[in-house]
Amino acid sequence: MNKLQFYSLMFMPYPFIPPAADLPSTWVNLPNSLYDPKVGHRLYNEFLELNVLTERLGYDGVLVNEHHQTAYGTMPSPNIMASYIVAKTERIKVGVIGNALPLHGNPLRVAEEIAMLDVISGGRMISGFVRGTGNEYFSYGIDPSTSRERFWEAHDLILKAWTEPGPFAWEGKYFNLPFVNPWPQPLQQPHPPIWLPGFASLETIDEAAKRHYTFMQVFSPRVVLKKALDTYRRLAEEKYGYEAKRENLGAAILIYVAETDEQAHREARPHITWLFREGLKHPNYFAGPPGYQSQASFRNFLGTIIEKGIPDIYDLQYEYLIDNGYAIVGSPDTVIEELTKLTDDLGTGVVTGAGGQWGAMPHWMAIKNMTLMAEEVMPHFREPDGKPMWAKEERLGKHTLTEHSAQVGKPKIDPSIPWGDDGMRIDPRIAHLPELVDEAVAEYER
Amino acid sequence: MTESAAAEKPASRYYTEPSRIQVGDLDVAYRRKGSGEPVMFLHGAGTTRLWLPFYERMSESVDFIAPEHPGFGETAFPDWLDGWSDLILHYRDLLDALELDRVHLIGFSLGGWLASELAVYFPERLKSLTLITPIGISIEGAPRANLFAMPPEAIPEMLFSGDFLPYVDFLPNPNSLDDIVNAYGELGTFARLTWTRGYNPKLERHLSNVDVPTLVVGASDDWIVPNVYADRFAELIPGAKLERIPNTGHAAIVQEPDRAAELISGFIEGVAR
Repeated sequence: MNKLQFYSLMFMPYPFIPPAADLPSTWVNLPNSLYDPKVGHRLYNEFLELNVLTERLGYDGVLVNEHHQTAYGTMPSPNIMASYIVAKTERIKVGVIGNALPLHGNPLRVAEEIAMLDVISGGRMISGFVRGTGNEYFSYGIDPSTSRERFWEAHDLILKAWTEPGPFAWEGKYFNLPFVNPWPQPLQQPHPPIWLPGFASLETIDEAAKRHYTFMQVFSPRVVLKKALDTYRRLAEEKYGYEAKRENLGAAILIYVAETDEQAHREARPHITWLFREGLKHPNYFAGPPGYQSQASFRNFLGTIIEKGIPDIYDLQYEYLIDNGYAIVGSPDTVIEELTKLTDDLGTGVVTGAGGQWGAMPHWMAIKNMTLMAEEVMPHFREPDGKPMWAKEERLGKHTLTEHSAQVGKPKIDPSIPWGDDGMRIDPRIAHLPELVDEAVAEYER
Repeated sequence: MTESAAAEKPASRYYTEPSRIQVGDLDVAYRRKGSGEPVMFLHGAGTTRLWLPFYERMSESVDFIAPEHPGFGETAFPDWLDGWSDLILHYRDLLDALELDRVHLIGFSLGGWLASELAVYFPERLKSLTLITPIGISIEGAPRANLFAMPPEAIPEMLFSGDFLPYVDFLPNPNSLDDIVNAYGELGTFARLTWTRGYNPKLERHLSNVDVPTLVVGASDDWIVPNVYADRFAELIPGAKLERIPNTGHAAIVQEPDRAAELISGFIEGVAR
């Protein structure tokens, strides 16, 4: 087992916007007249190329996520991004972390699309579920005060749709479906691994621990990450009676590696600064609308912010981000040292954001970052063969037809069509072969 | 019950201890003073927990009853509050609990929408209807301000259409964590009622059948709900009268309590006579 799994996590930013300081927000009401689709064409294709590259570099997985109406990230449909990546790769794990369940009128669509991706990819999908940021509730007209309830009802519906034979009826508070019977079903059984990205919410950590899901702490200070992972382990042990696995303890941290510490900071600083200061300019009234948190959580959250004097996320300075572990930037030795603290002190088994493109980082610089990650950093956390986890496992979906024929064999049921009007049926695959049809007719008449 | 909307008691000098009455499984906070015609006031998305000067003026001539909606002020947010039908039925039950057969109903802003719905569904419980800068309908080309999509510190100016400094005692104290948390909770209830749709598309048609003496009170310059809304309500409800209070914004009853009370108690007196 490798000590640490590496996933890329990039956001598909559109950085060609006016200064965020002059805008109320770079989310929700940022005028979309600022978006130039010709520029977008180049951005999407370069971005997807980077995501595809992760396989040849030897990443464990590649992750995409969902945000709406923002220059921070232009992947409103992460499943479309995943579909492209799945088509251009063979073995690497592909994660959508996640679909923002409460935003969608019919969660069955998520169940269907992830199942499609899982079957197409040969069982390589990771299915993350999120509530989405508060901003998204403005963009999608969903009442944030129903967010948690909608999330869990959608979650339960999707899980049941994947694991219990259909059709069945779903009569819930938010979703009402007379026939839940999605075709296809996921290739991975009972379902693709589920991740719950979260921001140290006790409720999310508890639910993740209860169900053995991977919890991924989103960008936050190291003390918060530590507390979250400790909480998962403690709940797993004390409340649910098992020892948490390292691969279920994830952290989203931006990692940038270059030849020297100085060079790494020179290259990373402007782009990490863009991500936080410009891309994440979402004032509290957008990011945390009423009811998005319970009143008790809100009191706790606001009380801590006031007491500790924590600035808004978009006011965080680069030095603060580095000092508090939001990002790891440096030479290979420095990055290895910092990651070792994560694995050895915190027990983290999954790191996302491990090299990639953020802010206005040029394509070539992102490739440099990711290449150095793969060349100089990742092998240090692998077994001597240097293989990512997927290279040690058999892929569920067979890659060649010969393997498929030899190992999967024929479908359980032969297709048939009516032949004549006396109830005879024939396999349509032989219907164009008169000799075989005659034989079948003779047999039927006997 | 899930959680209490109210945190600590506010420091405002207009705060008074509420009375309480059990309505189903909910302990409802209300304030009541005066004698004569029973008048029930339905508040908007704020100004809870206070005994407003407007209430005091009204109580000089009527039996003035100001309950707090579920999830507002000192009435907790009940887990059953999911939409308008829950709120409408809750108010029928509150009238029963207070043993009030028929009342003069006043609704301010959000309360105006609620009062309109009650007039539609339970007209037999109303002696008269007064709507003050009401919401509940949609008028093309006249967008209402979205209170969720602005910094909380921008709201007071919108409420009073400009200088709000004379009215800070009626507003949440921005330096009080309790007040901020209380406002967050009340806005959460407001979201439950208005986020998905800030109006009822059926209300226009329903109001055309309302047969209750009605007064609509508009502001002179409402920055939250454009003035045309009061006009439109007055057109929709057969026989409704429209009055505007000069030098007021959305919170007209806070800005001109004497003038508002004079107008409304005069109207109620006329209906009762």
